[in-house]
Amino acid sequence: MSPKSATIYKGKTGQWAFVLHRITGFLVFMFILLHVVDISTINSPHVYDAIHRLYGNVFLRLFEVGLLFGLTYHALNGLRVIMIDFFPGAIKNEKQLFYFMFSLSLLLTVIGGVIILRPFFTGSTH
Amino acid sequence: MAIRSLAQKTGDSRTSTRKPRQNFETWSWYFMRISGLVLFFLALFHFFIMHILNDVTATNVTFVATRWKNPIWRLLDWLLLALGLLHGSNGLRFIMDDYIRKPAKRVVVKSVVYGIAIIMFIYGTLTIVTFKG
Ligand code: HEM
Repeated sequence: MSPKSATIYKGKTGQWAFVLHRITGFLVFMFILLHVVDISTINSPHVYDAIHRLYGNVFLRLFEVGLLFGLTYHALNGLRVIMIDFFPGAIKNEKQLFYFMFSLSLLLTVIGGVIILRPFFTGSTH
Repeated sequence: MAIRSLAQKTGDSRTSTRKPRQNFETWSWYFMRISGLVLFFLALFHFFIMHILNDVTATNVTFVATRWKNPIWRLLDWLLLALGLLHGSNGLRFIMDDYIRKPAKRVVVKSVVYGIAIIMFIYGTLTIVTFKG
């Protein structure tokens, strides 16, 4: 293999799986930091409840759906990485496994998204 | 990460001429997989209860007070906090090693990230432990 073809590595499924895994892992970590702060207001009940009413706002509900996608993708792809590492056969189906995990995380996000956004559509929230 | 660790495991001569041995990176590699498996259940279960079964606006102080009456929930929430922060900051360590090339800058950024993770761990632990309900 020439050095050029060895160093230029473009867009195979495994690389996309990795890039998305990295981005979602990073974003979920950022969310944990925010979450520790919002939960810490629990000792000031008014602040805590005000924040959780705010989370019912449609933009923050969309953010919640985004978190659901980040978390389910990272979790399912993490499982795919673990399967590939520990079961020698799995690498042969690495691509199909990626499509499966990615579709499953999309499906779970859509189902969860409908449930999370429903109060907005039925008008039971602002 | 996966490639470096695989080379360690198999002693792949292209990337490693030494014999594989158990070092911090091997340990870290296993830790990511074991904590990942535990987080798979903890994090998804947590999201399911707090965001799917219940609406975010319903998870108010009264809700948490009822939940945290049971020490098992406090323990599970604390485990999620501890494992999430550890797994996440170790993951961030891979990312920082990959993208921050200048040694001095790497030390500074890593110190800030680890510092924040430690402070958040203590802060979160205090919240869970000191809540009276
Ligand atoms: C929910 C279940 C989870 C599973 C199954 C899982 C699995 C994994 C695995 C196996 C790796 C190592 C990948 C490798 O060595 O190539 C990894 C990396 C990582 N994880 Fe997770 N994880 C989970 C949850 C989380 C959470 C909650 C966070 C954030 C707090 C997180 C943040 C990260 C980060 C930042 C990386 C580094 C990504 C990289 O090196 O590109 N993970 N995860």
